[in-house]
Amino acid sequence: MKKNNRFLTIGISVVAAAALVLAGTTPSNAAGKKLSSIRIAVVIKGLDNPYFVSVKQGIIDTAKKLGVVANVQAAPGLNDDIGQANKLDALAGQNYDCYIVIPITSNNLSQGLGKVTKAGKPIINIDSPVDPASLKAAGGKITSFAGTDNTAAGKAGGVSMLKLIGSGKKIGLIAGLAGNVTSNARIAGFEAGAAGSTFVGPVNADWDTTKALDAANAMLVANPDIAAFFAANDQMAQGVAKAVAAAGKKIPVYGVDGLMDNLNLIKAGSVTASISQYPYVMGKMGVEACVVLAQGGKVPAWTITPYGVIDSSNVDVALKSGNQTPPGGYKDPYAPLIKK
Amino acid sequence: MKLSPKSSTSSAQAGEVETSTLNKVRLATKDPFFWSNWIVVIAFILVVLVFGALKPHSFLTMYNLNNILVASSIPAIIVVGQTFAVATAGIDLSISSIMTFGAVVYGIAFTNGSSWWVAGIAGTIAGTLCGFLNGLIIAKRKISDFIVTLGMLSVAAGFALVISNGVPRQIVSNSLSNLAIGGFGRIPYLMVIAFVITVAAHFFLFNTRFGTHILATGGDPDAARSMGVNIDLVKIVVYSISGTLAGFAAMLTISRIGAAEPAANTSLLLNSVAAVVLGGVSLFGGRGTIFGPFVAILLLQALTNGLTVVGVAAYYQYVSIGLVVILSAALVRTK
Repeated sequence: MKKNNRFLTIGISVVAAAALVLAGTTPSNAAGKKLSSIRIAVVIKGLDNPYFVSVKQGIIDTAKKLGVVANVQAAPGLNDDIGQANKLDALAGQNYDCYIVIPITSNNLSQGLGKVTKAGKPIINIDSPVDPASLKAAGGKITSFAGTDNTAAGKAGGVSMLKLIGSGKKIGLIAGLAGNVTSNARIAGFEAGAAGSTFVGPVNADWDTTKALDAANAMLVANPDIAAFFAANDQMAQGVAKAVAAAGKKIPVYGVDGLMDNLNLIKAGSVTASISQYPYVMGKMGVEACVVLAQGGKVPAWTITPYGVIDSSNVDVALKSGNQTPPGGYKDPYAPLIKK
Repeated sequence: MKLSPKSSTSSAQAGEVETSTLNKVRLATKDPFFWSNWIVVIAFILVVLVFGALKPHSFLTMYNLNNILVASSIPAIIVVGQTFAVATAGIDLSISSIMTFGAVVYGIAFTNGSSWWVAGIAGTIAGTLCGFLNGLIIAKRKISDFIVTLGMLSVAAGFALVISNGVPRQIVSNSLSNLAIGGFGRIPYLMVIAFVITVAAHFFLFNTRFGTHILATGGDPDAARSMGVNIDLVKIVVYSISGTLAGFAAMLTISRIGAAEPAANTSLLLNSVAAVVLGGVSLFGGRGTIFGPFVAILLLQALTNGLTVVGVAAYYQYVSIGLVVILSAALVRTK
């Protein structure tokens, strides 16, 4: 009886695994220039951050609209650099027409990208750039980069905040993961934009809401005269807003990303502003660039995706549109190149 | 795959005279330890067959099997240390942080002019020190392994940030990256290294007196002590081994990702614990195999690879990997 149970369990697990596998199977067609035969492999960062969920949505929506196939894979976790490299390795040897990547660190995908380039396939790098030196050492080549200028986005935040609080004030800075390029660029950009202020920090809160709450609490205790906070992403801005409210203060809190959650908080007044990055547009441009290349076209090597400050003045428009694209429109260099 | 006779006890042999192979197999399947030892191999073969049938031209290629071996090698080294810790009825929660610490030490040594292998020795020694400290505190202060290594998880990760100032260091070395890319024919160097370590660990655990002491400490510490086993020494050695392997694995990680990163990668820790259980090592100590967890790592990596190759959406991958871990553990469970 016991033996039967074991075999039953094995049977169930095999069926369950097979069902899961079949549920996600994508049809494989021969490579060609017809839209329906174009296959794109995507390896992005961990989906435990809504920002990358939005990138994924942009990719899936655009692929569906154009009628191409996209296999979207994500790192098992935000910090799992090797796990992400393993996923790219697994896809690199297959007959995809084009690869879209967002590396966790500037180096961790370089060896896998070398294999992709050696197989003669184009690579579109979106959001976070791959380090050129390590890529070159591995024999890889990025065909086109589409990402935001984090320094410029941070700077726009700094300029906007100075208009609000005036110069010479104390500003608390909450950064992401220690050593992260994006975080460093946003913070450095903000410091340039808000030049003339005194800065407290930056304190690393690892992109995490709770850690940012604790960090902001500690900063407020040590520096009761802090006049405003800048956090390097929206999730941390939400934590900071909680700390500010708990301390009974009413000071501006800025975040970066433009997550829907945060836009709701901007409308409610607990967060002041967010420098929106439009990850959805990045995903969309990645797919469009891949399609152009698979059709034999040429794409620009470098595209800056849009950003903009969302505050109480334009939050309603952004909320209404789902904030997937900027309220004022944007330039997309890839879309016109696609042959329908 | 050869399992040590010491790791499997046959309980159903008394009274049976018939020696036909079929009967032997039938008897073996009645032995609960047979299942705990072999289920992971069966599961691994099943995974390879299922994905092989679904995607014969992309999963079952030499290129992709090579990918699975490369992906398995670093966790396979980490899991050896974890197996030793668990065999003494302990657990090492600090391995991924020690690895991060070792990587940062490597980065500092390398950027200060050390050659790639001297930096590797520095990183390995840094790991040994962390592990030694773990073992010393556990042995001398009689604090639970869980608590001490949980503390070390934070301390090592913290020191990694302190001495690196939170900044990753790029390691550009052709010799080092060749280690990750190259191989003997189709077998990647990394897997050769992992396999040599695994075989050595198997020999150490099952063919030396000290190995027997490790299992005795895990099985019944009081009995082991009264038999004259130096339990403190066993704990110190076991955690030093675990730390050393983590420090060494740091170099191999750098060879793959080309940078010494100060951020800890916790999925390695979770994988190592899952693999130890799947491999048929008792979490209560005293009973285990080295090759079981090794195959379990191959299983987990083949599963992740297969799901990616087939194109299963990321969210379903979490579900399916978790399901396989739970179901296999349910099968491995022995009374």
